[in-house]
Amino acid sequence: MNKNNLKGFEFFRGLVAILIAIAVAFIFIFICADDPAQALSCLLIKPIISNGALNVKSILTILGRTTPTIFTGLAVCVMFSADQFNLGGEGVTMLGGFIAVLLGIYLPMAAGVHAAVAIIISAIAGGAVMLIPALVKVKLKSSEMVTSLMLNYIILYVVLHFLNNTFADRTKGSTQTYEFLETAKVGTVVQGTELTYGFFIALIATVIIAIFMYRTRWGYAIRMIGINGQFAQYSGLKVGTIIIASQIIGGVLSGMGGAIECLGRYTTFRWLELPGYGWTGVTVAILAKNNPIFVPLAALFIAYLNRGCELMAIYAGVPAEMLDIIQAIIFLFFAAEQFLSKTRQKLVVKEAKQEISAKADVKGENA
Amino acid sequence: MPDNEYVVQMKGITKVYPNGIAANQGVDFNVKKGEIHALMGENGAGKSTLMKMLFGLEQPTDGEIFINGEKVNLTSPTVAISKGIGMVHQHFMLVPNLTVAENIVLGMEPKSKGFIDFKKAKQITEEYGKKYNLYVDPDAKVRDIPVGMKQKVEILKALVRGAQILILDEPTAVLTTQETDELFKELIHLKNQGHTMIFISHKLDEIKQITDRLTIMRAGKSMGVHETAGISKEEISRLMVGRDVVLTVQKEKAQPTDTVLKVRNLEYTNEWNKKMLDNISFDVRKGEILGIAGVEGNGQRELVDMLFNLNVPDSGTAEVNGKSIIGRPQREIRDMGVSLIPEDRMTYGIAGSATIEENLMSDRIANKKYNKGALFNTQAMHDDSDQLIKDYKVLCKTRNQQVGMLSGGNIQKVVVAREFSCNPGFIIADQPTRGIDVGATEFIRKKLVELSREGAAVLLVSADLNEVMELSDSLIVMVNGKIAAYFEDTSMLNDTIMGEYMLGIKQQSDEEVRRVIHE
Amino acid sequence: MLNQLTSMIFTTSFGYSVIRITAPILFAALASVVAEKAGVVNIGLEGIMMFSSLFGVLFAYWTNSWLVGVIGALVIGAIFGLIIGVFALKLKTNIVLAGTAINIAGSGGTIFLLYMFTGLRGNTANLTTPQMLIPRINIPLIKSIPVIGPIFSGHSVLTYIAFILVAVVWVLLYKTPLGLRIRAVGENPNAADSVGVSVLKTQYIAIMLSGALAGLGGAFMSMYYSQSWNTGITAGRGFIAMAAQAMGQCEPVGTMLSSLLFGFASALGNKMEGLPGFSSYLVASIPYIVTVIGLAIYAVTQLKKARKRGQ
Repeated sequence: MNKNNLKGFEFFRGLVAILIAIAVAFIFIFICADDPAQALSCLLIKPIISNGALNVKSILTILGRTTPTIFTGLAVCVMFSADQFNLGGEGVTMLGGFIAVLLGIYLPMAAGVHAAVAIIISAIAGGAVMLIPALVKVKLKSSEMVTSLMLNYIILYVVLHFLNNTFADRTKGSTQTYEFLETAKVGTVVQGTELTYGFFIALIATVIIAIFMYRTRWGYAIRMIGINGQFAQYSGLKVGTIIIASQIIGGVLSGMGGAIECLGRYTTFRWLELPGYGWTGVTVAILAKNNPIFVPLAALFIAYLNRGCELMAIYAGVPAEMLDIIQAIIFLFFAAEQFLSKTRQKLVVKEAKQEISAKADVKGENA
Repeated sequence: MPDNEYVVQMKGITKVYPNGIAANQGVDFNVKKGEIHALMGENGAGKSTLMKMLFGLEQPTDGEIFINGEKVNLTSPTVAISKGIGMVHQHFMLVPNLTVAENIVLGMEPKSKGFIDFKKAKQITEEYGKKYNLYVDPDAKVRDIPVGMKQKVEILKALVRGAQILILDEPTAVLTTQETDELFKELIHLKNQGHTMIFISHKLDEIKQITDRLTIMRAGKSMGVHETAGISKEEISRLMVGRDVVLTVQKEKAQPTDTVLKVRNLEYTNEWNKKMLDNISFDVRKGEILGIAGVEGNGQRELVDMLFNLNVPDSGTAEVNGKSIIGRPQREIRDMGVSLIPEDRMTYGIAGSATIEENLMSDRIANKKYNKGALFNTQAMHDDSDQLIKDYKVLCKTRNQQVGMLSGGNIQKVVVAREFSCNPGFIIADQPTRGIDVGATEFIRKKLVELSREGAAVLLVSADLNEVMELSDSLIVMVNGKIAAYFEDTSMLNDTIMGEYMLGIKQQSDEEVRRVIHE
Repeated sequence: MLNQLTSMIFTTSFGYSVIRITAPILFAALASVVAEKAGVVNIGLEGIMMFSSLFGVLFAYWTNSWLVGVIGALVIGAIFGLIIGVFALKLKTNIVLAGTAINIAGSGGTIFLLYMFTGLRGNTANLTTPQMLIPRINIPLIKSIPVIGPIFSGHSVLTYIAFILVAVVWVLLYKTPLGLRIRAVGENPNAADSVGVSVLKTQYIAIMLSGALAGLGGAFMSMYYSQSWNTGITAGRGFIAMAAQAMGQCEPVGTMLSSLLFGFASALGNKMEGLPGFSSYLVASIPYIVTVIGLAIYAVTQLKKARKRGQ
């Protein structure tokens, strides 16, 4: 079987999934927008083009918005690659953001160093928290999925407790912390957009994780465990250790994402519910087929839709939450192994036949 | 025309699997009403395939099946059941957390007002149990009852569904001696009630004890039907065990030196209380191939599992070059120079959706050679992978192909390439050529001999008599978890002798067996 | 301090609120039990509850009947169960991912659908009429018994149904042919298959039943508990339910007890809000912490059992 054709087919399948989702979006828009044409243009064109010219600010904002989901997407990639259904990215992102902001407020340091230290400590905290589901899985053989889901809520309430009872700035109208010091700020690249330097850190993280997964023995071990755990064991890989490590890495990345997001986009900590990036991270990883290198692309796609939906909400009155439905549809079809399986089967059979006839030809010539 | 004397008539049955393997070739198989008919043959002789077709799990490529003189088309087990055929699988088809009665009525539950009529279910169970002398506790959960009773439940399940013809697939393989005796009484009782049974087994004593007639299969063909009383054990053994083609592998005489593997008094009783390893002791020396022959299921798999820490024995020791390998992590065992060609290559041997290269590198991924600091030395990996692919003649386009897409023979070559190229001092080869093409088979056998002559100690486990006799320098026969015989020189052996030992007709004395310990 | 706490717990209104808070979790937890028994993990409970809580209100609004609303929510729940089933069983999407997709769709998609159908944004408080709310009922005899009466009487119809369903699900699983097949399919599909029980069909039925049960939980939330639908109305109850099921060892009665534990902790949290020295947030986290510990203890006992069997 020719690998390139199969890859081509995978691409085709992804495209069909996206088209189905967009078709559904069209139907929704025609039902509920007063001016469907306007709404469609908001969704598809306005994010990058306005008044006949490229809208640079909007494009940069879209790029900026990929930052947290690149981190959670990478985290999910690593954990799913090791066959670990850890869904704790939600909570750990929140925890990372909270710790980073607190460090930004209460631990004065020199500019630059301050932000870096805050991010690193948040990342470590994220990794440490993920030790819980990881250890429970390896030592007790208990589902990491349920534990990590519970962990999300434990983190949510613990953070809310400290936010409300210890660190709240009572002078503000809504519940939030004091502003963190300017030295801890992750700077904005272009004023008036949401593009911070965090985006570049995310890209660097992508490259590092891609190299880690495909060019190091640890990443190799993670992937082999995900494909066939018994084979990994028999080959002499340290399965338990690697399973734990994969979830710690997931925690580190999620914690980092939360820290960078909070220190970049805001001036205080103000998340009063789980931020949703963990779940988007799952979508991103599914779209990227668990391959880190495609994560920014997948995150960009989601961010683009996100921006489009937002504009549609502003200019055409269609609620931005339509995004979740589109996202779910794409997600479902992307993850469906048997989707278009008949077409795939035909392709495989056709190839096999060609190969056989090619071989027969060669034999014929030899004879 | 079908003959009315027979309840089962299979005529000219041929089965060719999609991968081209002809498991049955023109097999005729007839069973008389009310008899216990043994179906015998070595592993891979085609018994299972034949029975799968009779139970509707597979369809014949060619040939006809008659039940009670009526031509039938058995497209599924449901159809087979409706024709009065029942099968007792070797691996029980039971739901552990359901009660015995629930298991028996599953799918045909007696109802009253929409609920299960448990009284009726219990009544059915007890009624049939009484009628057939198969006493079971209807209220016990299946997970709590002993294996013998589980088997009774399986038999009852078939009988309740109206089975007149019972296929019993190696029913005694999981049973203790007492349980076997009990089973035989029950089967005789069933026979007296007019039921017909097809009894698959390798155990000659059992066959002699209980069956009326027997059919022997070898290499997909029937070797004829005999009255059990009119054929000697030796004759059965000769018909069953034998080689069609005698391949000769060129090999020099072994010059064994130091002991590499030292196994002493290994004992293991499995979770169903069956003793699978019974005081196993032997040595494998540098430069020799020690073969383990035997009908499958006599403890070979358990032994290999112990030597690679895929399981832990109840007691006993195993050392490689003086260092214990029992319970040690696989990494450590491999670092001692042990390598394993696993019997189940798809489960242990490969990661199917990973590339050929990734599969070739799995045991040596942390070697300095393949790492530059934290990163892989990809060039070294590519070079060595390509070299291995070339050396071991793996048929593929590139090293980046998915290994699962290759043919069975090429997959095995990938496994062998990895396990042979790690400079092993001790190689365990468990069924190294099962189910692969002739070319790959020859290649792997040659390599194995080559490595042993270069100084590796080799333990070859194979149910393929041809292979184990040709390749081994000396040989052990395992029967019932024990070493039944040791032959220092395999060149003296012939099929008849082997068959008699493998099927338990003969057994060496303890002193003779003890010669395998070279101290 | 402790006095304050005990005097708080030992009131009839506290007992009443425990039951009230437990009911929606119980619906979803029973949903989880039915699916799990058939060998399918329904992680989409949260999303299913979001959709059905919305559609419950909408159906009730369109017909001005709470009963139609509840039935509508049940049907919508079953439909989403079917969607998970089709993707997981037919198209071979990993079932955890299929459920996750439904959760993602449910979190924001409901806001969108609400707008699409009514033009409202974020909540349905403006739609609510008394006919749309699930009525409370007083139980004649029990009502007048001191202590017992105020705790157990005066709940909504659906609250009682939730607890009745514990028995119903138990009977379904252990006393009916379907239940027997569900348990057989979940534990050993080959065995079920070998006697002609269709594994696929049984799993479809189970996941749809699971969806329907979660649908009732959704209706409970929007048509009784909160009196209207709003964003984030289920607040993770679908996930708590999964944990309750795991902690209840996938048995209806055990699951009810662990659901009650959640109800108790939540009710306690609500009561303590505003009390000096107590953090309602920390109290709110107790059920989740208890679950993690409970699951760990359960896992340890299972491991020990396995080890014993091994010897």
